[in-house]
Amino acid sequence: MSAVGAGGQVGVAAAPDRPGETPSAATVGLRRLWRLKWGLGAAAVLLLIIASAVLAPTVAPHDPLSVNIRHRLAPPAWLEGGAAANPLGTDQVGRDLLSRVIYGGRVSLMVGVSAVLLSATIGVLLGMGAGYFGGRTDWTIVTLVNVMLTFPFVLLALAVISVLGPSITNMIAVLGAAGWPIYARVMRAETLAIREREFVLAGRALGMSHARIIFRQIFPNLVSALVVIATLQVAQVIVLESFLSFLGLGVQPPTPAWGNMLGEGRVYMLNSWWIATFPGLAIFVTTLAINLMGNALRDWLDPHMKL
Amino acid sequence: MKRYLGRQVVQLVVVIFGISVLSFSILHVIGDPIVLLVPEGAPKEDHERFRKLLGLDQPIYVQYWKFASRAIQGDFGKSWYGDAPVFRLVMDRMPPTIYLTFAGLLVALLIALPLGILAALKRHSIVDNLCTALAVGGQAMPIFWLGIMLIILFAVRLRLLPASGYGTWQHFLMPAFTLGAFLAPITMRLVRSGVIEVMNMEFIKTARAKGLGERTVVIKHAFRNACIPVITVLGLQFGQLLGGAIVTETVFAWPGVATLTVESIRNQDFPVVQGAVVLLAMIIVVVNLVVDTIVGLIDPRIRVSA
Amino acid sequence: MTRFRHAFLALLGCLALMTAAPVEAQTKGDTLVYVFQSDVDTWDSPNSVQRTAIILGYNVYNHLAERDLKTMQVGPSLATSWKAIDDTTWEVTLRKGVKFHDGSPFSARDVKATFDRVLDPAKKLTARGNHAKIKSVEVVDDHTVRFKTDGPYPLFAERLTALVMQSEKVINEKGHDWMQEHPVGTGPYKLVKWTRKQEHLLVRNDDYWGPKPAFKYVRVRIIPDTATAIAELISGGVDIIKAVPPDQMDVINKSGDARTTVSPILRTSMLQLDQAGRTGPNPFQDLAVDAAAIIKHVLNGLGDRVATAVNPMAFGFDPSIKPYTQDIPRAKKLLAEAGFPNGLDFRFRTTIGTVEPGVGQTNEAIIADLAKAGLRAQQSFIGESVAYNSQVKEGKAGPMFNWSWGYYSIFDADAILYDVYKCGEPYSYYCNKALDDLIHAGRTALDPKKRAEIYAKAQRLLFDDTAYIYKWGLRGVWGVSNRINYEGPRDEIDRFYLVTFRK
Repeated sequence: MSAVGAGGQVGVAAAPDRPGETPSAATVGLRRLWRLKWGLGAAAVLLLIIASAVLAPTVAPHDPLSVNIRHRLAPPAWLEGGAAANPLGTDQVGRDLLSRVIYGGRVSLMVGVSAVLLSATIGVLLGMGAGYFGGRTDWTIVTLVNVMLTFPFVLLALAVISVLGPSITNMIAVLGAAGWPIYARVMRAETLAIREREFVLAGRALGMSHARIIFRQIFPNLVSALVVIATLQVAQVIVLESFLSFLGLGVQPPTPAWGNMLGEGRVYMLNSWWIATFPGLAIFVTTLAINLMGNALRDWLDPHMKL
Repeated sequence: MKRYLGRQVVQLVVVIFGISVLSFSILHVIGDPIVLLVPEGAPKEDHERFRKLLGLDQPIYVQYWKFASRAIQGDFGKSWYGDAPVFRLVMDRMPPTIYLTFAGLLVALLIALPLGILAALKRHSIVDNLCTALAVGGQAMPIFWLGIMLIILFAVRLRLLPASGYGTWQHFLMPAFTLGAFLAPITMRLVRSGVIEVMNMEFIKTARAKGLGERTVVIKHAFRNACIPVITVLGLQFGQLLGGAIVTETVFAWPGVATLTVESIRNQDFPVVQGAVVLLAMIIVVVNLVVDTIVGLIDPRIRVSA
Repeated sequence: MTRFRHAFLALLGCLALMTAAPVEAQTKGDTLVYVFQSDVDTWDSPNSVQRTAIILGYNVYNHLAERDLKTMQVGPSLATSWKAIDDTTWEVTLRKGVKFHDGSPFSARDVKATFDRVLDPAKKLTARGNHAKIKSVEVVDDHTVRFKTDGPYPLFAERLTALVMQSEKVINEKGHDWMQEHPVGTGPYKLVKWTRKQEHLLVRNDDYWGPKPAFKYVRVRIIPDTATAIAELISGGVDIIKAVPPDQMDVINKSGDARTTVSPILRTSMLQLDQAGRTGPNPFQDLAVDAAAIIKHVLNGLGDRVATAVNPMAFGFDPSIKPYTQDIPRAKKLLAEAGFPNGLDFRFRTTIGTVEPGVGQTNEAIIADLAKAGLRAQQSFIGESVAYNSQVKEGKAGPMFNWSWGYYSIFDADAILYDVYKCGEPYSYYCNKALDDLIHAGRTALDPKKRAEIYAKAQRLLFDDTAYIYKWGLRGVWGVSNRINYEGPRDEIDRFYLVTFRK
């Protein structure tokens, strides 16, 4: 199995098989597919989650915001006191839990993907710029990256949210604006490696503009690394979003988000345990699926990737 | 040697400066503290009056200079509720956070080191797969969930440990374990890949060729060298650890800086938030410097190439 | 290998350091552990509106008079007797042989110093409004004090239970700032240590003039999270918790190690509206919120619906006014007539339930009900009582915020009308001259029948004018460990010195 990376850190390279072995082509192919079985399974689960999030209005049995205090704290359908109308039960003001979990997924995925898009864009541009132009640009960006990497992500998010106030947009902005260093670092390293390759030098000789070289020649080689990091980062962002919502500093109630549902349901753990348990399960399954898929993606694209 | 240390110190100063500018600009440029201080619907003159009172009408760099010069002397202002000096408030709560962080690190190492080495040595075996599965699963588990479950199991149902608070070693067990479990998966994988990479290096083959026992090879040579990348990355992880610490402290009502920060954010008590953020960041930077220096001492290659 | 040995030893050292972290000096057997969800801002009771400060003050200081929980009557404490000499003069006789915690004797001069300080408008102490009817305090001799009031003052005796007696020596020599953190009282417990936002440690005053408390130490722990507080109670970590949400009562009662105790209390909750700047008639009617349903389903019946903020247990309560019931179509119509056919978005400030059980859940239900009528409330949550109260006091909590009032445990309508409705008072967001006149009249009339009429008029006014959105009179819910004997106090003041072991 391959090495680290679920967090996007630049760690140690995936090591080759035991020296001395020379596997046959068929074995290699089969092994690759077998290694991917977890990833394929995870991708299937993830597809289900994404589908339910996108199709939430159709899939969710009830309106996640409709309060009905006469039916509050109803247990899941398979327990005594539960009803089929609320398969996972209701929460402390009678809202259907299943619908809230589904809509919560919507929020989490939206925040995750948006924040990652933002970070990736900033990080890729800055990373490629640093690697390609070198010199003072490189030095400035590298120092910036170091400062931001030392400054803990969460602390930064907290500080900004304390000023801007908690909301979904602010969270995306913060998580997006604070997450770029990882992309920048990797993109820079890859750019440095490619910069001196022949086709790039040829491009320079032909008089191609910098922008063309960067985007047409260098960038395509970075895509696989980018995709892997971005995928794994989505999981990271979702976890961070749930942290912030749990602390009350992220998505605000009554908007459903797995983190804040867990926070609100905490006091009910000893009697109405379902309110906090199902959101928690949702976070676990989604994060697991994304991580497995991300690892499989990395193995498939390039098992020797330095991630 | 001196040059190396000197370089590190310069880097430290630059980074601290960067952090202070960053947190200052967050609070004063992105947000407008006045809006939060003055009653809603208050006339414009009140806004201006407050601005003058708090010195917020001066140019940004003047404000920053005032902030920085006072901060160096340890004056981070006073809390907006209760007038307690921010520095004292934050530093009073620092020890529990530091202890928790080290305890968590210790637990993470206790779990990750043996498992990581085992997995590395028995690659592709059942043990390896199990460990990796555990790691991936552990990474996906939300840390607050784990903490809450531990409290219910050990405090409420079994009455073995206190549910919250600080003071005796029993108070440390669950929070430290929670934080350790948060960090352990990544650490384990790092250790594993570190050991694997080292095991494949030339000097190991040489050692084996020399006829040294496998045990000696592993412990004396491989492990020592694998520690370098592990320690480096662990040092970087300190920042990550803080994220875990914030949630752990909240779940266990731990009287640390993290709970102070979260409370202050909820109360919109900016001086405390700013002070906590800057002081915490500084501590992290110092820790990173120490780790880098230690690594530099152990591995001369880094000293020279940096 | 030595380098690693060193590193390992360093790690071990850290572990040892942690074990050396402070260990409690008191044992479980002699320590009562009591929980607040939010810490006090000061130990100077007259300077705080917080119920938590009132409770702490009751245990460390004494008042001139004290309420007996069994009879609910006002009886002697530091004052042994009092009588009205004429319509505007009262004479109070003080107990002899009482000493402050610092050893200095308690005398009439301390009474005068305490009152002078509180009544001084320049000092701006929170309790001033409560005692504003007292014009001056004279020392007759070491154990006799004479009070001159601004007109007849029917609540004089009741209000003697609402001001702690502080030391003249401390007031003059140590000053205001020192007094915020160092209470010097005459009470059954002394403050040993205050770790802000974490805990207070109290120790028994062995020279106390009254009955000796059963517990030598009291630890007042601050636990903001309800789930944690309940977990601590059930696992035996703490002895008393307050404001238990009604839907968690079964968890505590089934645990076998703790039980709940319920009592109606004076505290009444409401949604305060920023009405002070309003001119013209009030188009508001409280039609959107189905308070009766909320009490029944969310509070499991533990609440007494009120038509105005006057509590059924307070003197002057008028039962003839019937509270609003929910009528959404009419609410929507009124809103449209007022110029908001598409509804209205506004900020709704809330805080944690330090004194109001289940407030998080009831607020959610209220927001949902309001939304049905088109009133979209954006909840703005402040996590700590002190910060919240500051915002309220400084006039920044509008346009709507959740509020409750404990009457300072004075069972009289005046105790809420003055502070929460009078024009210009720091905690009042309402301004109506007619009401102010009624308040003044009620404070001055000596005949109880006349006072009742005045207060009935006042409540009618508050109801018709829909000054605020009224909720209910609260029932206090306490969680109590089975190792102690304790009943929830009707005046919402927890007396640590009355707690005893259960045999």
